[in-house]
Amino acid sequence: MERESLLIATLVELADNLVDDYDVIDVLTVLCLRCVEAVDVDAAGVMLASPDGELQFVASSSESMTVLELFQIQTNEGPCVDCFRGGLAITNHALSETDGRWPLFTPRALAQGFRAVHSLPMRLRGRTIGALNLFRTHQGLMTDDDVLVAQGLADVATIAILQHRSTIDAGTLNAQLSNALNSRVIIEQAKGMIRQSTGCDMDEAFNRLRAHARNHNEGLTDLATRLVTKSIDAVNLDQWAKPKGP
Amino acid sequence: MTVRRLLDIFTIMERFEREGTNGYALCAVAAEFMALDGAGIAMISDSEDLTSLCTSNNAAGALMDLEITLGEGPAVDASHGDANEDTNLLKESASNWETYRPEAAALGARAVFGFPVRLGAIRFGALSLFRTTPGPLNAEQDSDAYLMASVIGRAILSTQAGGSQENLVGELNGASMLDFRVHQAAGMLAVQGSISVKDSLVLLRAHAFGVGCQLSELADRVVSGSTRLDSESREWIDAPEIENNE
Repeated sequence: MERESLLIATLVELADNLVDDYDVIDVLTVLCLRCVEAVDVDAAGVMLASPDGELQFVASSSESMTVLELFQIQTNEGPCVDCFRGGLAITNHALSETDGRWPLFTPRALAQGFRAVHSLPMRLRGRTIGALNLFRTHQGLMTDDDVLVAQGLADVATIAILQHRSTIDAGTLNAQLSNALNSRVIIEQAKGMIRQSTGCDMDEAFNRLRAHARNHNEGLTDLATRLVTKSIDAVNLDQWAKPKGP
Repeated sequence: MTVRRLLDIFTIMERFEREGTNGYALCAVAAEFMALDGAGIAMISDSEDLTSLCTSNNAAGALMDLEITLGEGPAVDASHGDANEDTNLLKESASNWETYRPEAAALGARAVFGFPVRLGAIRFGALSLFRTTPGPLNAEQDSDAYLMASVIGRAILSTQAGGSQENLVGELNGASMLDFRVHQAAGMLAVQGSISVKDSLVLLRAHAFGVGCQLSELADRVVSGSTRLDSESREWIDAPEIENNE
């Protein structure tokens, strides 16, 4: 698909999601997946600040991205951490062994095949609530258009979190952030159950969860909650058909 | 920010322990930490009733008893839902606690706040806070309340796992408040041992304390399959070390 039609399709899909009752983690996951298609990047992830100011992972386009995001949180170092702290975008940062900016993060990212990183702040009225992270397996500049689109998607992600129920004030924002992060915890607990019950890996466990939720028009978090509270058994989830790769 | 405020919590806990004030009564820590007039912790029992775990002073105790007797109020709502508040008990307000409001006011409270104590799909109960003057929490108090609620949830798990205060401080100091590996591992153990995810989280901690390893290390071993629970005996089984000659 042409980039323009891809973008239109992405915006329509996200807008469609946001006018209905939606699951925050699901919308953010869709956003990450579409970023990879609409912007010239290979992996995308969203990190959010918990109410007490600690950065946390909430959604990503792939498990390898998730691992790198979690690594940044653990080591407290990396593009997302810098972007979040400074509230400023990091674009077109080429990764190389000689680059000393992130001594722990860079070798990890290189080992996973990434060559360039970008991180865009998710901002709301002067407060940075998280970051959208875009990693590329090749170096070279991301075009101005790409940066514009990516920042637009980061803003959509911010809206998705805030719009998830009612008005905006400091207390509510904290409640929204707390709920989004708590949803992610439920999903991780459910992933563990699916993995153990079916013998699949964590990536596939998540895909199964999403597929079943979508097929049955159920929120991702609601379904994960039912798994954790054992009102549905993981073996009864729909099978997930692996998309045919190029 | 989290680190600084966590240290503040530890400092208060240590002082209480030195002074022999009920070990580390977390509600008293909460009230002092947030500079409020009282705090209580309500727990959801196995039979889904709300019970008082501790209260920081007589007024907090009376307020908690009132709430539990009436079945309405900030802790009741927060234990099953989101954070909530009534910032002026003497004025017409949006809160639905018709019976609770005048009686809580008669006990001296003017503003009351409830925050859920939860971890993923597991609901432990609620942190209930009050002040003798009306008005909302300020931004830092609001963030602090989420941090405190998270500390309480982890303290409950740690205590149930037979952990010492050192164990708790070690856990709270861990890399991340929402360590996803731990939650994935808990999901896996829940299936392996046919137990609840909450019991899995307790079991993980008990084993980590017992063998003296980090919770996150144990979680990694569970996720990679090198440590598991026997489905019958629920004993821990370590896979034999595989020589890695790479």
